[in-house]
Amino acid sequence: MLRKKRCVAMLLAGGQGSRLGILTKSMAKPAVPYGGKYRIIDFPLSNCANSGIDVVGVLTQYRPLELNAYIANGSTWDLDVNDGGVFVLPPYQTGASGEWYSGTANAIYQNLAFITQYNPDYVLILSGDHIYKMDYDAMLQHHISHNADVTIAVRQVPWEECHRFGIMNTDSEGNIIEFEEKPKQPKSNNASMGVYIFSWDKLRKYLIDDENDPNSANDFGKNIIPTMLRDGQRMTAYSFNDYWKDVGTIESLWEANMDLLDPVPQIDLHDKQFRVYGRNLGLPAQYIAESAKIDNCLITDGCEVYGSVTHSILSSGVRVDEGAVVIDSVIMPGAHIHSGAVVRRAIVAENAEICGGTVVGEETGNIAVIGIGVTVPEGTTIKAGQQYEG
Amino acid sequence: MKNSIMGIIYTGERDQQLRELTTVRAVAAVPLCSRYRLIDFPLSSMVDSGIRNVGVIMQRNYNSLMDHLGSGKEWDLHGKHTGLQILPPFTTNENVGLYAGFLDAIRSNLNYLRRSKEKYTVITDTHMLYTTRFDDMAAAHEASGADITLLYTRDPGVRRNGGGRYLSMDENGVVTQLEVDPASPRLDATYMEAFMMEREKLIEMVDTAVSRGQYHLTRDVLMQAISTRSFKVVGFECTGKVWHLDSVQAYFECNMDLLSPETRAALFPADRPILTKLRDEMPTRYFPGATVKNSLLADGCVIEGTVENCVLFRGVRIAKGAVVRNSIIMQDGVVSEGAELDNCILDKQTLVRPNSRLIAPRSYPIVIAKQMTV
Repeated sequence: MLRKKRCVAMLLAGGQGSRLGILTKSMAKPAVPYGGKYRIIDFPLSNCANSGIDVVGVLTQYRPLELNAYIANGSTWDLDVNDGGVFVLPPYQTGASGEWYSGTANAIYQNLAFITQYNPDYVLILSGDHIYKMDYDAMLQHHISHNADVTIAVRQVPWEECHRFGIMNTDSEGNIIEFEEKPKQPKSNNASMGVYIFSWDKLRKYLIDDENDPNSANDFGKNIIPTMLRDGQRMTAYSFNDYWKDVGTIESLWEANMDLLDPVPQIDLHDKQFRVYGRNLGLPAQYIAESAKIDNCLITDGCEVYGSVTHSILSSGVRVDEGAVVIDSVIMPGAHIHSGAVVRRAIVAENAEICGGTVVGEETGNIAVIGIGVTVPEGTTIKAGQQYEG
Repeated sequence: MKNSIMGIIYTGERDQQLRELTTVRAVAAVPLCSRYRLIDFPLSSMVDSGIRNVGVIMQRNYNSLMDHLGSGKEWDLHGKHTGLQILPPFTTNENVGLYAGFLDAIRSNLNYLRRSKEKYTVITDTHMLYTTRFDDMAAAHEASGADITLLYTRDPGVRRNGGGRYLSMDENGVVTQLEVDPASPRLDATYMEAFMMEREKLIEMVDTAVSRGQYHLTRDVLMQAISTRSFKVVGFECTGKVWHLDSVQAYFECNMDLLSPETRAALFPADRPILTKLRDEMPTRYFPGATVKNSLLADGCVIEGTVENCVLFRGVRIAKGAVVRNSIIMQDGVVSEGAELDNCILDKQTLVRPNSRLIAPRSYPIVIAKQMTV
């Protein structure tokens, strides 16, 4: 038995993220780059580090290579500790059986043995789909002081968007009395963030029961939460109203990046009291040349800028040649924009190369995407909303 | 040649030449090129050369150096049995705290040398900035059958009147002459104060020299050895760009040189990163209205004003209406609204108040010491 932990985090990172199109063709969604020098998974992992949680299981089953290499020993988040750490947990064989994770609840169920090692009091369930800074310890204190069996983080969303979320209806004390999955006529606008804290004994019992139910989809939102509510378990809502952005689609990933260019961004990545950690590539400083024109940008170590960049994000090691134009775009690590190329309202994935005389994206309309490592040959035109894989 | 070389970096001498920059730190810890400290370069060169055992001899003002090196993790020198060995001075009957010279420093740390297992030892000073391959140097050392191999450069930029060490070699690369601090250098190559020896021979040489009361490696031992041919001393050329950081002006010009992409490429090998302590900073923010030309910037800066021909370190803030030209601003420096700077070096965490003007001639840059407010 390992040393007992008060709270263990389980991060659901198994989804393909197919709505991100070619960006997740070769990597799982949590490994997708964001904000110049981060990846999506840096946010939940940094939150854990900043909340005093030092055991994180990362459940993965889709193209895990990139994610495994990125997580490595967890030292990026100061999670390389003796009696804890970050553990990548793929599905595995047990005796004659063994199967893929069939749902979010099943993924945790298959790793009950992992959690049991730490004999925790509480289990925090997270997903790798959102950009947000959150103190999970404050939520845990809420859970403890409300003597709850489950605490669900909720936030107010615009009423017209309620149909996209699981909506939690609460009484005046914040106890959840009703749960509606993607309601057409919502009674409240408190949407579940997919962040749950369970008391461990209750989670264990409901996961085992759920697994034994042949009709269950083995999903937290569809099965575990409604069943616990029906059984009258103590469920409270913890409301969180800071910045929280889904990055599950091309458009929302682009928007979440552009949010960082607001005059005062709603998410503060400069805050030294609550740092967001990311793997550092050890590249030299960024160089802005005499010929460069920079207007309202975020630019990262290792970039060399000779061209014109407006309202855009350049990630580590990007090169923009003299005479190249980048507007309203996200350029991911290592990409190279050659002289004479025009890139606007686009996401250019890692190590892509945009040759001269190329026009990527349009002034309005959907976001154009260039795939990982793709070379866009001279004179090509990529329309708004097009995903180009070469 | 796996694990056959160990490295020693000597950080102890001549700290006054860089004035305010070295009152609070050793030369080895002087920040340069936006996100590095000088010691990152010899350390990264050693690691690139396959060296897994590096001792850093410290003498004065080594607080910031210790903080920077930590466990050696950033350089992958945090192994279980080998890795980074920090060697601060300690007082015993024989050691009085300050080393009498380089040889005395080595003598104080002979136990570390005896305990190490590598065949060769490369020892560097920290006044020169360069990157090189010490594994190539070891191969040349072995092939030449030398007792001592000295690293030298033919870069004219490091030659000084009244200072430096210069050498000349015969057609076989054997060093025939060595001059120390000449009024004007006569010999054609500059000794970079980095040399390689077999570890056992080094121990023997240091023991012998110190027992004779000799503490100065170049004057007492190397010059003797070369003139009497008691050791075979050969040269190994460092072919890359080399800077000698022996004055504030030299430090300033070195940073300005690195604004040139070609010069940077000559110092930073494309496939081998220079490793340094990490700081989790977000990318640098350029606000609308900011103008940046020909400058190097580290992550974590916030730029609202004008920056031309500058080297900015992590977390620097340039406010709206501020104009900074030809200057070096170290970590977390703040230049407030309407301030104007030309040819300045601002040490870490300095604050320039609104509408201040600091204009210096290029030949004599203004240096603002750490944590000062102007």
